[in-house]
Amino acid sequence: MTAIRRLGMSLAAPALAVLVALVITTLVILLIGQNPLTALQVLVDFGDTPSQQTQAIVVILNRAVPLFLAGLAVSVAFRMGLFNIGVEGQYRMATVIAAGVGAAVVLPAPLHVLLIVVVAMAVGALWAGIVAVLKVTRGVSEVISSIMLNFIALGTASFLLTGPLRGSEEGAAIITTKEISESGRFPALNGLFDVFGLAQPRGQLFGFLVVAVLVGIVVSVLLKRTRFGFDLRATGLSPSAATASGIDARRMVVKTMLISGAIAGLIGLPDLLGRTYSFGTEFTAGLGFLGIAVALLGRSSPLGIAFAALLFAFLDRGAVPLQFADIPASVVTIIQGTIVLSVVIANEVARQVTRRRAERHTGQAAPPTAEPTGPAGTRIDARQEAGA
Amino acid sequence: MAATAAPGGTPAADGALGDGVPYAVELRGITKRFPGVVANRDIELRVRRGEVHAIVGENGAGKSTLMKTLYGMHRPDEGTILLDGREATLRSPADAIAAGVGMVHQHFMLADNFTVLENIVLGSEPTRRGRLDRAEARRRILDISDRYALHLDPDVLVEDLGVGDRQRVEIAKVLYRGATTLILDEPTAVLVPQEVDELFGNLAELKREGLTVMFISHKLDEVRKVADSITVIRRGTTVGTADPRTTTARQLAELMVGSELPSPETRTSTVREAAVLQLSGVTVAALTGRPAVDDVALTVREGEVVGIAGVEGNGQAELVEAIMGLRPLAAGSVAFAGQDVSGWSTRARREGGIGFIPEDRHRQGMLLEAPLWENRILGHQTRPPAVKGPFIDRRSARSDTERIMREYDVRAPGPDTLAHALSGGNQQKLIIGREMSAAPRLLIAAHPTRGVDVGAQSAIWELLKDARAEGMGILLISADLDELIGLSDTLHVMLRGRLVATLDPAALTPEELGGHMTGAHDGSVGAA
Repeated sequence: MTAIRRLGMSLAAPALAVLVALVITTLVILLIGQNPLTALQVLVDFGDTPSQQTQAIVVILNRAVPLFLAGLAVSVAFRMGLFNIGVEGQYRMATVIAAGVGAAVVLPAPLHVLLIVVVAMAVGALWAGIVAVLKVTRGVSEVISSIMLNFIALGTASFLLTGPLRGSEEGAAIITTKEISESGRFPALNGLFDVFGLAQPRGQLFGFLVVAVLVGIVVSVLLKRTRFGFDLRATGLSPSAATASGIDARRMVVKTMLISGAIAGLIGLPDLLGRTYSFGTEFTAGLGFLGIAVALLGRSSPLGIAFAALLFAFLDRGAVPLQFADIPASVVTIIQGTIVLSVVIANEVARQVTRRRAERHTGQAAPPTAEPTGPAGTRIDARQEAGA
Repeated sequence: MAATAAPGGTPAADGALGDGVPYAVELRGITKRFPGVVANRDIELRVRRGEVHAIVGENGAGKSTLMKTLYGMHRPDEGTILLDGREATLRSPADAIAAGVGMVHQHFMLADNFTVLENIVLGSEPTRRGRLDRAEARRRILDISDRYALHLDPDVLVEDLGVGDRQRVEIAKVLYRGATTLILDEPTAVLVPQEVDELFGNLAELKREGLTVMFISHKLDEVRKVADSITVIRRGTTVGTADPRTTTARQLAELMVGSELPSPETRTSTVREAAVLQLSGVTVAALTGRPAVDDVALTVREGEVVGIAGVEGNGQAELVEAIMGLRPLAAGSVAFAGQDVSGWSTRARREGGIGFIPEDRHRQGMLLEAPLWENRILGHQTRPPAVKGPFIDRRSARSDTERIMREYDVRAPGPDTLAHALSGGNQQKLIIGREMSAAPRLLIAAHPTRGVDVGAQSAIWELLKDARAEGMGILLISADLDELIGLSDTLHVMLRGRLVATLDPAALTPEELGGHMTGAHDGSVGAA
């Protein structure tokens, strides 16, 4: 199979999924008695003035950055056949503690930011590490333990926010941590608009975009080009073959979860360092769960996740304007949900087609992939559906 | 659609024998093309009613494609299929079943948590008032079981059955649907010798009841034992028919590969002094009951092939995994080249110079959904040519894969082909090429020629012999008694986790070895 055709195959599935999702959403909008064309118009209408248009782009990019990081965090675990459902808890813990530490100290600007980033990554990794340790020592499914740890993380974050890390006035409606001082804030990228000769938007473009792109490149190189990435992918494709090849499955589980958690720790930082400067009850929630959807849509590849994050962010931007047009904002959620559902189905279909084509190419029938049957000493119980 | 003259057979233009009885199955000029490949070309096949007809050929010769054509899984591009003298158009397996053709697949398709009865009726359940009529199902199954001596108990869960029993359930499934022609795809590949004999007993019963059996195999001795006539396929076309009573296995094999055949014999000893593998008191715990491997001691020297014979399931798999560090030792030690490696990881052992050909290549030897060049790296992630520092060296991994494909005759379009697109024999050759390329001092070869065609088998034997001559120590685990006797310098027999006998392969017949394997020689009963 040529590279071009393979690329075509991998693009066809998500494109088809988006199409199916649009059809379903159209039907839903018709059902509630609204005009789907109006909805579409609202989604692509970025405003009248140049400033409004660049502002729309800023809103999309600012939303896409955390979604991209969340998708990456989930996908690293996916590639090894691990479901890290705990990204949500990992980033909440990481953000609240990083916010607390960041507000407590004053350092020269680059160091201050670096400290906050390192603390967030470390906390995220530790929180995910609990899942890994439970799995390799006690055989606890990472799905169960990471979901449970989400609840604990949410509770702990609330406790920290209302207790030791509280910065807002007693009796204030919105509880927040103390604000991070100027030196701990990440500079905005608004200079870019001048460079390209575009109008300045109202808001600020997260400087963390640069960090996200770097993380994406590092993850991509790590997975595709390094020995470690090979071990990780091999374990995802066949735990038994990986073990027989000399990969220590337990150690891989721990390392992978630590990396996944460390990336998860970054999710809250674009907002924290670029807009709110403190963690509070109003801080953006749900990014961890959206990350699962983004990773699925992006087929666990960094480039795909970038597109998926942009698509989700584009749809999210439409939520407010849709309400102005008397169309419920839930339409956006419906589109996102159906996209993910169709993409899961489309991926499976694409996998079958690729496989069948490969068989036909050589005229050879491959036997059905045998599930591992015998208990190998260190076999981990991760299945491989998630990878691919 | 003129039938071309059948090589080695008499063309029968009207699809009938001289006395007017039509053939049960007749294929005329079947051609099946896949993009870029002609899988079958001008196939001519005639099978009489009530005979066991064997179809032999190398892996990739086109046997499976042909059987899939006959079972309606795809349509031929050219040619005619005649069943009982009438032209048949088979668009799907359902058509084939309706026409009385049933297929028993090599990989069983049974639901483990269902009973035998439920598995057999699944998909064509007898119903009464919309509910499964168990009484009727049981009556029909017992009737089939009695008639063909299948000895089925309808109420046992399939997960409690052995491989031989599962196969009989598969056969019963096909018979239950009224098949009069059965296709068995390499039925003996998964069976131990005793079960093979039982299967042949069942086939005789089927034949006696007037059913037609088409039997695909590469085990030529078995084919000669059970078949009434043989058709040989080579490179996608039928090259001749043979009478098993007058043809030797050697002649058959030569017909199959189109050339003279090698044998596994190695008689000049190349055994040197230095031991590469020393096991002492190796014990591996089982989940329950007695240990899977019990106090095993053996030595493999440089240039020596040490064979382990035994009925499968007597601890060979566990022993191999213990040597590779995949299973913890309950007691004893593993020494490699004079060093105690009992505490080493699998990777350290592999880096130290232990090569590994696993028994189940799909489970332990390959990443089926990865390209060949990534499979080349598997197990050698830490060594050149696959890596440069912490990075994967894609270019040299690819070019080295090409070298292996060339030198070890791996037939595939290129290093970017996905592994599952290869036939079993080609996958195995890639694994062997990969392991040999690291020039190991010790090779653990578990069933190195299992499911591999005659041509590849002899190539693998040659490779092992050459490696042995160069001083590699080889631990050979096999179920092929000729292979064990032919290649081994020393032969141990494993029974219930213990080494119960050490034999000299130079003065040993397969029959004697078989006796030791089942424990007949020391008075105990064999564990299967």
